[in-house]
Amino acid sequence: MSDIFFHITISHFLILAAVLFAIGMVGVLVRRNALIVMMSIEIMLTAGILTILAFARLHGDMGGHAFALVLIAIAAAEAAVGLAIIVAVFRSKRHVDLERLHHLRD
Amino acid sequence: MIELTREDFLYQIPLLILAVSGVMLILLEAFTEGNRRDFLMSLSVAGCVGALLSSIVLFRSIGDESIELFGGMLVADRLAYVLTGLFAGATALSAMLTADHQRTHRWEVGELYGLMLIATAGASLLSMAGSLVTIFLGVEMMSIAIYDFMAARRGSRPGTEAAMKYFLMGAFSSGFLAYGIALLYGATGTFDISSIAAFAAENPSDPLLVVGALVLVVALAFKVGAVPFHMWAPDTYEGAPTPLSGFLASVAKAAGFIAAVRIFAEAFGGDVMPFGRLGWASVFAALAAITMTVGNLAALRQERIKRMLAYSSIAHAGTILVGLVAVGVGAGDGAMAAVVYYLIAYSLTTIGAFGVVSWIGSRDKERLRIDDWSGLAVSHPLAALVMTVFLLSLGGIPPLAGFFGKFYVFSQAVSAYDQQLLWLVVIAVLNSILSLFYYLRVVMAMYFREPEGAFTPMRSPATVIALGLCAFFVVKMGVLPGGWMSIAGG
Repeated sequence: MSDIFFHITISHFLILAAVLFAIGMVGVLVRRNALIVMMSIEIMLTAGILTILAFARLHGDMGGHAFALVLIAIAAAEAAVGLAIIVAVFRSKRHVDLERLHHLRD
Repeated sequence: MIELTREDFLYQIPLLILAVSGVMLILLEAFTEGNRRDFLMSLSVAGCVGALLSSIVLFRSIGDESIELFGGMLVADRLAYVLTGLFAGATALSAMLTADHQRTHRWEVGELYGLMLIATAGASLLSMAGSLVTIFLGVEMMSIAIYDFMAARRGSRPGTEAAMKYFLMGAFSSGFLAYGIALLYGATGTFDISSIAAFAAENPSDPLLVVGALVLVVALAFKVGAVPFHMWAPDTYEGAPTPLSGFLASVAKAAGFIAAVRIFAEAFGGDVMPFGRLGWASVFAALAAITMTVGNLAALRQERIKRMLAYSSIAHAGTILVGLVAVGVGAGDGAMAAVVYYLIAYSLTTIGAFGVVSWIGSRDKERLRIDDWSGLAVSHPLAALVMTVFLLSLGGIPPLAGFFGKFYVFSQAVSAYDQQLLWLVVIAVLNSILSLFYYLRVVMAMYFREPEGAFTPMRSPATVIALGLCAFFVVKMGVLPGGWMSIAGG
């Protein structure tokens, strides 16, 4: 039983990644603050990166490691643009609460 | 070890032209004085025309071959060049319309043109994708550039709100895309689409493969705005500067579809389809049916024209999904050509429609409600005529481009797979009839109601040329569909 805790295998990483993905997804769907939604999205991307790294190790393939680095760079670029947009919204409305954005509605 | 040859660069010239001129334009903007934006717009159009011409040349020279570049990362074939040409042309038209919108509403932002070209380069990368790595890079290159220029109209509250909604939903779908790619990589041990296809043909029901593909379906459904992943689309299209809504509805949507084609039709399109009897097409069939119905029903009750066009674009995404289902159940090249024809027809029509919406807006009044269109036929008969052409083409009235798009897609779907898709086509046809109600409402307002007061729309040559070109091609694709169909690959 204690073996699960002391022998870290690939499946540990995969399960951790799946849990992270689920946390991120629930966060996006439930939270209403744009910044927290963005953090949840970053957690989802991290889950993808972790899964790719675990599988790259499993398959012994350097391509996966290289793509993980590319993914990290892209996630950073996306976060930079996203923060800038959130700042722009905050400047015009003084809040970033998704529930209280009323300009565009049915 | 991958050896790079001269061909590797030669066959991706359109992509290089778009990317390099995009970066150069952004650099150039930093050194441009105040009111010289028109010059940047002309340069971006020149870049697009260069990419369009080089894709035409490569399209003619490549024949029916499919050439792998950069060790399979990119694939050069006719499909890639048709789509690249479409993206370049659509971007040129959007850029011409945007310049006027910027001047009229005073939000001159020069970087926008460079960013548009970079987004188009990302879309073109997607059309040439031969690996899941390229798919992700293309989607992100396009999306990040689009997030940027959607927020470019800084003073506009709906504009920044629209940009934020688009960003959050787009980044959310990137999360799905990354995780789906990770799962497919786990199942197959490769990112290469043709190797994944070989694996899928042998192990069609590998659980990781199935789950990974379903996660990718969600990611792409967000990108193309299919119900139930469409919530961002009406808000974003309504809040964005009008010509950019047209860009979003044409280039970004078509790029999402070409990514779906590259992943699903090519990786899972073998004789043995993964996931049971209908294969992945069953998921798309359900999405298509809901998307068309929800999109059209929601469009019926819109009072604002951009929101109506947004829901109409959702409905059209559903119709294109019908074509994708036909590709999925093995209708082959004919169905593929129908989808491509539809993408060309729809892109030109929707850019034109958003272009007219942008054209009739003057500085103090953007005229975005359908009531604002009353009596346009009396005050500006030519604009009303052009808008009527676009609306009827969207509604699928012969002899316009939209009619043949629907005709080809439906006829391919009916004949595919022993007529098992008949139910889907019946839903699609009923939906096209339903859609006529809201398109004709605008036409009725323009022709049968009294004008509500004079106004001066923008009158620059760029807008007139762009709208004229859209209308010309929409009519030409409808009157002479055969040549366009053979370009599309039929």
